[in-house]
Amino acid sequence: MRIEFVKAVHALMEKDPKSVFLTGDLGFNALEKVAEAFGPRFLNVGVAEQNMMGVAAGLAMTGARPWAYSIAPFATYRCLEQIRNDICLHDLPVRVVGNGGGYTYGIMGSTHHALEDLAVLKPLPNMSLFFPCSNNHVAAAVALMGELAGPSYLRLAISGFQSDTAPLSENPLTLTRRYAARSRKQGRGLTVVCAGHAAQIAVAALVLDPALDADVFGIARYPFDLASDAEVMASIADTRRVLFIEEHYASGGIGESFAAEVAGKVDAFARMNAVYRKDQRYGSAAFHLAQTGMTPATVLAAAREMLA
Amino acid sequence: MTFADDLRRDALAIRKTFLGMHYRAKAGHIGTGLSAIDALAYLHKSWLTPEDAFILSKGHGASSLYATLHHFGVLSDEVLDTYYKDGTLLPAHPAAGAIAAIPAATGSLGHGLPIAAGMAYGRKYLEGSTARIAALLSDGECNEGSVWEAAAFAAHHRLSNLLVIVDANGLQGFGKTTDVLDMEPMADKWKSFGFDTREINGHDFDQLREACSELDATRPRCVIARTVKGNGVRFMEGKLEWHYLPMTEAQFNEALADLEGAP
Repeated sequence: MRIEFVKAVHALMEKDPKSVFLTGDLGFNALEKVAEAFGPRFLNVGVAEQNMMGVAAGLAMTGARPWAYSIAPFATYRCLEQIRNDICLHDLPVRVVGNGGGYTYGIMGSTHHALEDLAVLKPLPNMSLFFPCSNNHVAAAVALMGELAGPSYLRLAISGFQSDTAPLSENPLTLTRRYAARSRKQGRGLTVVCAGHAAQIAVAALVLDPALDADVFGIARYPFDLASDAEVMASIADTRRVLFIEEHYASGGIGESFAAEVAGKVDAFARMNAVYRKDQRYGSAAFHLAQTGMTPATVLAAAREMLA
Repeated sequence: MTFADDLRRDALAIRKTFLGMHYRAKAGHIGTGLSAIDALAYLHKSWLTPEDAFILSKGHGASSLYATLHHFGVLSDEVLDTYYKDGTLLPAHPAAGAIAAIPAATGSLGHGLPIAAGMAYGRKYLEGSTARIAALLSDGECNEGSVWEAAAFAAHHRLSNLLVIVDANGLQGFGKTTDVLDMEPMADKWKSFGFDTREINGHDFDQLREACSELDATRPRCVIARTVKGNGVRFMEGKLEWHYLPMTEAQFNEALADLEGAP
C-alpha cells in the first residue's frame, strides 16, 4: 500500500498548495520524489515523533494541511498525547499515516507490530480512521482524508495473504466494499465483515470455497456510517449472524465497536483477532497470522461452523 | 515615566487582578503565575504585534495569561469573572478553541514548543511572512524530552522568528529544580542546541526588552528569565506550597498589601 499511498499523496500535494508532508525519518525508496518535488513543503523532522505531531499541529494552526508519516507503532503510541491534545482537541486537519498495520512488519519483532493502533486512536475526539482493504483501496482513502477538515489516521499494511482483488461494489463515502454475495438458494447464510487488510484473508478463503454461503464485506472507515452502508445492513438483516475479522487485538478493536452497533440485529457475532501470546515466535506476516489462528483455512472453518 | 516604570504599573495591575481571581476561585498555581506575569506583561504590551502568536507552553500559568489578556482589553470583565466557575471558557489550563488569543490548549508539559516551532516554520517557510512566535516555558517543563526534540528542530531549521522564554523560577512540582532533575547550566543547554541564548533577571523590564528584541537572522532566540516563584508577594516567594495552595482572606489581604508596598 505504501507505493499507492505515495503516488496518491504526491498527486494531492500537487493540487493542494496547503498540504505539507512530514516524515519521522522514514521513506527510503518511497518518498524521494515527494522530497524532491515540494521543497519546504516536505520535512524530514528526524527521529522525533512527539515533535513531529506538535509541529504538524502548529503548521495546521497557521493554515497548512499536514501529512505526518512514520511506521504505524511509532506514528501512534509514542506520540499519542500529541495526537490527542495538539491535533484532536483542536480539530486540526493533520493526516497521520502509519505504515505497517497489524503484523506487516512480522519478522521485525513485537516493537514493530501495530495491533493496538486503531484501539488507541478510535476514542479520540474528531478523529477519523481509514484502514484500506488492499492496495487498490488506498487512493480513495487518501482522497477522502484530503478533504476532511479534521484529523485522520491512515493504516497502511501488507497482508500475509496478499490479494488485490477488485470488489463487487464500493461505497464512495464509507469505502465499504463487497467482495462476495451469497447465492440465497440455501439457508439464511452468514455475513462476514473484515476490517481493513484482513479482508485479504477472507478473499483468499473464498478462493478455497467460492460457493461459501456468505456475504463478504471489507470496511475501511471509522466512525461508521452504517445508515449509508445499506448492503451490509441488508445482509445482516437477512443472516442475523456476523463473523468479524481484523488484524488487531480484540480489545479496543473495530470489531467491538461494530458489535455494539449491530447488537440488537444479530443472533450470533463471532470474532477473529490477533492474539497476544507470551510464547510467540517471530516470522513473516503470514507466519504470525497462522500462529494467531487467522488464515484462509481457519476463516473458512469459522464461517462453516457458523453456517452449520 | 520610563519604559520599565510603565510596565511595572501594568504588571502590578495584572498581579492584583490575578490574586483576586485566585482568591475568589480558591484556586492554586499562584506562585507560578506571579513568576511569569512580568514576562507576560512585557510580551503583550511591547513585543507581540497582531500578526504574531503567543503559546503558553507552561499551561499551568493560564490564570496569569487570562489576567494579562484582561488587562490589555482582550478579555472582558464578564468573561474573566467566569474563571474557574462551572461553564467557564477559562479553566485552570487553557482549553482548545476557547479564546481566540490562546491558539493552543496546553497543560501537559512539553507540548507548546513543538506547536510554536510548527507555527514558526509555517510562517517563515510556507508563507514567507515576517510573523513571529513566542513561547513561554517553565524550567521544570524542560525535563520533558519533547522540549529538546523541538529545540533541535527549531535550531536546525533556523527558526529566526521564534522566541522562547524559560520562566526559570527554580521550583517544580515536588521540589527545587536543582534537586529534582538538575537541568543547569540551562543557558548552556539551549546554546548548545543552537539557540541565540540570553540569561536575564526575568523581573527586570529593561533586561526583558534587551533580551527579546532584534532576533538573530539565522537562529531562534532563547531567554532564560531568572524569576522568583511568587514574585511580589513576600510570604509566597520561593515557597513550593504556593504552587498548590489557595489563599485565605487574611493571606489575600496581606498579599495585596505586599504588592502595593513593593517598590
